Amino acid sequence: MWSGKGRTAIVGIGYSEITRRPQKPLGLLAVDACRAAIDDAGLEAPQIDGLATYPEMPFAGAGNRDGEDVVSVMYIVNHLALAPDIRWYAQIETGMIASPIIEAVHALIAGACDYVLVWRALHRPTRRPGGGGGTGPRAAGEAQFMAPWGCSTIIQWHALAWQRYMYRFGATREALAALALNSRRNANLNPRAFFYKEPMSRDDYFNSRWIAEPLCLYDCDVPVDGCVALILTRAEHARDLRHPPAYVAGYGQNTAPRRTLLHYALDDYIECGGSLARKLWTSAGLGPREMDAAELYDGFNPSTLYWLEAAGFCKEGEGGSFVQGGRIALEGELPLNTFGGSLSEGRMHGMGHIAEAVRQVTGRAEERQIPGAEAVCAIDGSPMLRGSGIIVTKAP
Amino acid sequence: MSDQRHKPVPVIDELTRPFWEAAREGRLMVQRCGACGYYNHPPRSFCDVCLSRQLAFSQLSGRGTVYSFTVMHQRDVAGFEEDAPFVNIVVELEEQPRLLMVANLPGSNRETVRVGALVEVYFDNRGDGVVIPQFKLVSA
Repeated sequence: MWSGKGRTAIVGIGYSEITRRPQKPLGLLAVDACRAAIDDAGLEAPQIDGLATYPEMPFAGAGNRDGEDVVSVMYIVNHLALAPDIRWYAQIETGMIASPIIEAVHALIAGACDYVLVWRALHRPTRRPGGGGGTGPRAAGEAQFMAPWGCSTIIQWHALAWQRYMYRFGATREALAALALNSRRNANLNPRAFFYKEPMSRDDYFNSRWIAEPLCLYDCDVPVDGCVALILTRAEHARDLRHPPAYVAGYGQNTAPRRTLLHYALDDYIECGGSLARKLWTSAGLGPREMDAAELYDGFNPSTLYWLEAAGFCKEGEGGSFVQGGRIALEGELPLNTFGGSLSEGRMHGMGHIAEAVRQVTGRAEERQIPGAEAVCAIDGSPMLRGSGIIVTKAP
Repeated sequence: MSDQRHKPVPVIDELTRPFWEAAREGRLMVQRCGACGYYNHPPRSFCDVCLSRQLAFSQLSGRGTVYSFTVMHQRDVAGFEEDAPFVNIVVELEEQPRLLMVANLPGSNRETVRVGALVEVYFDNRGDGVVIPQFKLVSA
């Protein structure tokens, strides 16, 4: 078990508007989310003395203007009246959304700072003239082995992995439909969700248009502008704040497999995702059976299924049957993506998953509350490429 | 495939030149490690498995199987906007597990292509000196 278990906690959550038609630039949405998180914790901005973010763009070439396309640490330093001397910061470029949280936990335990603000701001990129995804007309580096055949967008790579999964395990689209419908039902109970007021039927799912067959529109997250922010502190400070703390009980990050041509070749997902899960469970001294809910990344729908297997919620190849029959509903045995996931809340790259895990163990999950939730895990990324995850608990 | 001139063209570099020059001559050549025999694709400056720098290009049979496939419907891929829906396959070449290449199949194969189907290389001349390996379905 990890010696840092329960020594730090997430004590504040802030959301900006999550929207496809933003009325303000990304930098100001980030300021909204950061202010909301500080207020939610019951703190004042000058008490924040640590900062961490993961500012990666949604895809290569999407633009990186600070405050427009991404929101860096320095942008927040310059646009929020925080502590006059920021004692510690980190801008993470590997891993995924939980990675800056993991770094914040380390910094707090080391005594580098007392209150850390972590955020993730995401801009919905506009299509570039002459072609959207992938590379432009000249394909350099490894793209020269993909782009000349038009196989250069992330959804195509996910579609290839899912096709392979269906072949290996005999799964069908029913599995993805069950996941998408579950997420939509939960989003209908989440006032921050993009699809808060829009239910979805089974027919809606199966009649939606193909994007990259065998993945359809509702297998994709909702590209939005928005920002989610969190506040972390050490346990001794956490007890006296506005809301109950969600203690950080454990974490894990992926190690990636040896690269092939495909970033998302399916065959590695158990081994690669397992490298995260072993650390996650061992550090917390908890296992999948002890999770009261699971928030598993769904930038593209099949990722959730792969995580269920790689993290040991079910056996390899059994994810498709595991998610059927009500098991993953709010009232089921393993409530899954209880806030609606990226599929129905919006593309916050896993921050929504972590925020919901915090809400569930602190009794703040509104109509979605799992009675008596004690421990919830949030895992982001794709198991065959990269990911990071944390477990939060009600008790330290 | 419609207008070939707008397809992305490979920016050939030191490492990848032998692959593209072989394609122009109608041969499928992949970098292979002289020390451990591992095929590295895309090519690298040292072997991904044993770190040896004894690398040379070696001709493949051009036969393989469909590892996976997808039909892209979104008009969102540079140079392929007018082709959608179009078929991509990933070919696993017979020389080594997970030695993968991408290719296109004609739209008429959309309903018949299956994972595991046998395929064979051919070479598609796109003009201006660009020749790309492609694969087609073959019967057993």
